[in-house]
Amino acid sequence: MTESITTQKYKAFSVIRIWTLAANTVTQLLRMRILAFLTVFSLIAIAAGFSFPTMSPEQQLKLLKDVSFGSLQIFSIVIAIAATSILIPKDLEDRTLYTILSKPVPRYEYLIGKLLGVLLLIGGGLLIMDLILSAVIWIKQSLIITGQIAALKQEQSATPENVAAIKMIIGKYGLTWGVHAGVFAVFLKASVIAALSLLISSFASSTLFTIVVAFAFTIIGHGQQLLRDWFLHDTLSSGFGKIISGLVVIICPDLKLFDVVDKVITGEIISAVTLASMGGMATLYIVGYTATAYLFFVDKEL
Amino acid sequence: MTPDISPTTAVSVENLTKIFKIGMTKKALVAVRDLSFKVNQGEVYGLIGPNGCGKSTTMKIMLGLVKATQGRTAIFGRNSEEVASRNNVGFLPENPYFYKHLSARETLHFYGKLCNMKGSELHDRAEAMLTLTGLTHAADRRVGGYSKGMLQRIGLAQALINEPRLLILDEPTAGVDPVGSRRIRDLILELKQRGATIVVTSHLLEQIQEVCDHVGIMSNGQMVKEGKLEDLISVGNQTEIILEDASPELLEQIRGLINKNDQQTKLVSLGKPRTTLEKLFLESTTQTGDQEPS
Repeated sequence: MTESITTQKYKAFSVIRIWTLAANTVTQLLRMRILAFLTVFSLIAIAAGFSFPTMSPEQQLKLLKDVSFGSLQIFSIVIAIAATSILIPKDLEDRTLYTILSKPVPRYEYLIGKLLGVLLLIGGGLLIMDLILSAVIWIKQSLIITGQIAALKQEQSATPENVAAIKMIIGKYGLTWGVHAGVFAVFLKASVIAALSLLISSFASSTLFTIVVAFAFTIIGHGQQLLRDWFLHDTLSSGFGKIISGLVVIICPDLKLFDVVDKVITGEIISAVTLASMGGMATLYIVGYTATAYLFFVDKEL
Repeated sequence: MTPDISPTTAVSVENLTKIFKIGMTKKALVAVRDLSFKVNQGEVYGLIGPNGCGKSTTMKIMLGLVKATQGRTAIFGRNSEEVASRNNVGFLPENPYFYKHLSARETLHFYGKLCNMKGSELHDRAEAMLTLTGLTHAADRRVGGYSKGMLQRIGLAQALINEPRLLILDEPTAGVDPVGSRRIRDLILELKQRGATIVVTSHLLEQIQEVCDHVGIMSNGQMVKEGKLEDLISVGNQTEIILEDASPELLEQIRGLINKNDQQTKLVSLGKPRTTLEKLFLESTTQTGDQEPS
């Protein structure tokens, strides 16, 4: 200990600090075995991929995507809410928050770092699941096409036109870029829900409260469009009802914006414009919720 | 009392009041009441007082973790509410816990990066802190399996990782065995020699007495006594003489002189001074707490 005491420079915004917090959050959540969902998802996808062989080929592929995307959504929403809800209360309870914020770490960096960590975890998990799902769809699709061509050959009608038609029809319901677009939409929805959960946990007094309220808002968020229509156009409702629905419309995200899974299942093309629009809306929600979370968190007594 | 913020002032607390609103009824609880003191650079300042007297709240306000209801605190002249004021501060909270999934080395790297340290500077500093706190042997073990004393030491290491000019220690020896406690005390003195300013709270008043230059005694959120340690603890009208290998005859002569010389002078005590239980413990044990138990 012969070094001299030095004065360090302070940076008001540091990407390194945010990345340090985010990386630590990812490790922290991984050690909680939060990605055990991945195994469950893989089993569901494989089971869905090789069940119901008596259905038509298109139905089999649609069902595979339907079940897999259902599990993807559940995985991402549960992780988004549960992981985000426990982070701040746990740091506060363990007093690690004291040691972090007593370093030159602004509170907004702490919030951004934690949220980024959750988003990285969800994004990473979804990426792996996307790869698993794509592999299962591709194998299933290849098996179906091979079976169909074999049947044509038996019927002695395996002309190049018929083979091409089968490949085109099955391909439409099989592995397309739309599958990845669908996973991206699921990620955007989960990111918005994570940011909303962060906002709730910034003022909530308990983890349970955060989880319950975040789940409630997630459910309401899927019907936010109905509420909005009622709030804006229905002239018969009471003033009090209008105020409540108006507040919900303002606070609650419109999660239907990110529901493109039905289109993906039926093989419809998801345009780049749609994806960009969803990305923009998600960014707006995330920035809005995080900024509001900061307003609550900056004055929080620790 | 309103302390000035001179260039030599490391910490300044001015007319600080903190009122917490408790429960649904928002009942007011005054944790700190019109508290003022200052800590000069290079000084070790001991803040002592019973549980709930407002010591920890004062420290939290100094660190910007809690906002003052009234008054102001500043660190090296910067308002504590500014994040930049914590640039040269290290803090060890009472009974700290760290991320259980990290090892001691990873923990130090984590906190170092939060202080914008990187590369060889961070690596070298982390290794130096592990050596300093005697945790080299457990550097790769997860903190989740650490004993209370080891947690306290890794807490101290993280507080020192950015080589702070001001160190704030809340009960640094709580739950630490006498050997570890002695080590922390020696470390405080070593840091003081290097020019660091230290604010420390402890229930072990003997330790405070050994390391502090200034002491503030708080009660019910207020400062009831404050000043230089020597001034506070010396008994003005008494004189202590400690002799070694004094014969009974010499002692008798001294006693006789006292009785003869002045009617007002009274002999308060004459006997063998006692060692402390802590000193006896340290002399009797050889285990340092650094090694793995064999």
